[in-house]
Amino acid sequence: MSILNDLRKSVIDGDMVLTQELMQKALLESLPPEQILKEGLINGMAEVGRMFECGEYFVPEMLIAARAMKSGLTLLRPHLIKANIQALGKVVIGTVQGDLHDLGKNLVGMMLEGAGFEVVDLGVDISPQKYVEAVKEHRPDFVACSALLTTTMPRMKDVVLLLGEAGLRDQVKVMIGGAPVTEKYAADIGADLYTPDAASAASRAQELVNKQR
Amino acid sequence: MTEREVIKMVLEGRKPSYVPWSFGFTKEAKAKLRSHFSPVELEDALHDHLLKLGSDIGFFTELGNNRVQDVFGVVWDRSIDKDIGNVEGCVLPEPTLKHYSFPDPLDRRFFDDITGRIARYGNRFRVFQIGFSLYERAWTLRGMQNLLMDFYDYPEFVHELLNTIADYNIAQVQEALKYDIDAVYFGDDWGQQRGLQMGPKLWRDFIYPVLGRMYAAVHKGGKYVFIHSCGDVDELFDDLIGIGLDCFNPFQPEVMDVAALIQRYHGRLVFHGGLSTQKTLPNGSVEDVRAETRRLLALGREGGYIFAPAHDVEGDVPLENMLAFVELLQSQPGYRNKE
Repeated sequence: MSILNDLRKSVIDGDMVLTQELMQKALLESLPPEQILKEGLINGMAEVGRMFECGEYFVPEMLIAARAMKSGLTLLRPHLIKANIQALGKVVIGTVQGDLHDLGKNLVGMMLEGAGFEVVDLGVDISPQKYVEAVKEHRPDFVACSALLTTTMPRMKDVVLLLGEAGLRDQVKVMIGGAPVTEKYAADIGADLYTPDAASAASRAQELVNKQR
Repeated sequence: MTEREVIKMVLEGRKPSYVPWSFGFTKEAKAKLRSHFSPVELEDALHDHLLKLGSDIGFFTELGNNRVQDVFGVVWDRSIDKDIGNVEGCVLPEPTLKHYSFPDPLDRRFFDDITGRIARYGNRFRVFQIGFSLYERAWTLRGMQNLLMDFYDYPEFVHELLNTIADYNIAQVQEALKYDIDAVYFGDDWGQQRGLQMGPKLWRDFIYPVLGRMYAAVHKGGKYVFIHSCGDVDELFDDLIGIGLDCFNPFQPEVMDVAALIQRYHGRLVFHGGLSTQKTLPNGSVEDVRAETRRLLALGREGGYIFAPAHDVEGDVPLENMLAFVELLQSQPGYRNKE
């Protein structure tokens, strides 16, 4: 359907105004909300992720694409709720205790949202206890932890440990990322998923959820 | 031969009698070293070959509650990062400079200590530091996400902002050139763990021409240009050499192939840095640190290299690991401290 193709393209181009116009048009034409979400917004952000991973897009292009996607999603959301369309899953995300860097965490959150997840952003400097409380409150499928520094990275291990102590470890998957974080570190601390960037964080989380279904 | 002459040899592409060095440490790491070397002052114990002048991060007013304000009006939260801090709030909430005045580039605090420090450490190679020298100054004023989107939303504003920052820096360079300095050491992080934050196209369109103006001001005074820029930025080296860059730091081994780059750019670009601060220094053993240091010294034997950890060493690095590289550097054949 060309309107959804155009919508998808407007997201990829980061053209927020056009995304909003096309979303209104799609809604006026009574296209199914789930189809608009998947073919327009999620497909658009998946392409943004692909372009980021292969080095065609960088942070600015990702930011304006996510902004366009979000503006479209805001218009679409009431229709998704009315049609009882559920999110792909829920993610609680934050930057770990002692670390105030938020850009990487924000990009991961945006890409997860663009992949169809509901994202609960706890912010920065989040203690292991706060992650545990958020898991109890929001019952997410994933806990996502970000750290930029070697000095704060060890807090990720504390999150995994405390989730275990609280008896919640089997209920959530822990995904981690940030400049000093590696696949090996994720394995060492017992995290479920490491990804090197925001785009692969979204696509890998999507794969894991689809595999479980 | 003085430390200053050794660094000059390296910058001229000649083979030095040993690999020179200049380290950086955060406050926490410095505290460990200070108690180890006490009563000798750290600056005297380490025998850095670069004499750092001016200020890399600028001057701050205490606001209380772990908050400080820089001369540009930016408030920094130092409750966690005690050395630099994290920006709080936004000095330029709108994409305009209409309601903003830049500080005085000739603020005497940037220049007052130059003469005294040159008198005390005259054997060392003198670098006047200008930190946050372009993109970083822009995002600390405007907010990083705002600025990254401004490249597309308000390109004229970004050009104006970057050029105004460059004018401020060039005024500082011209003042610094009145002293007997050897180089200007700019700082400006453009990279991520993989690739550039803003990508090569926006970097070339917006940042590169302005860097060219700043570097030209230094070369016009007959001095060398150094840049510190974190992350995976080696794709820019040829462009940077094209506008007169002489030395690149931090040369992070986690994001670039340090051995291949030293060889490829020998005679064209000097590297300062190279020792892993993301892996080896915090997580490796003393022997790991020694082995990596020895590898770097072997790579730098023919010149083109100034040793350093690839970032200011953080507080999570054991004292023994810091001493491991300091001792190897200072015990090189051919090096004898004359201070």
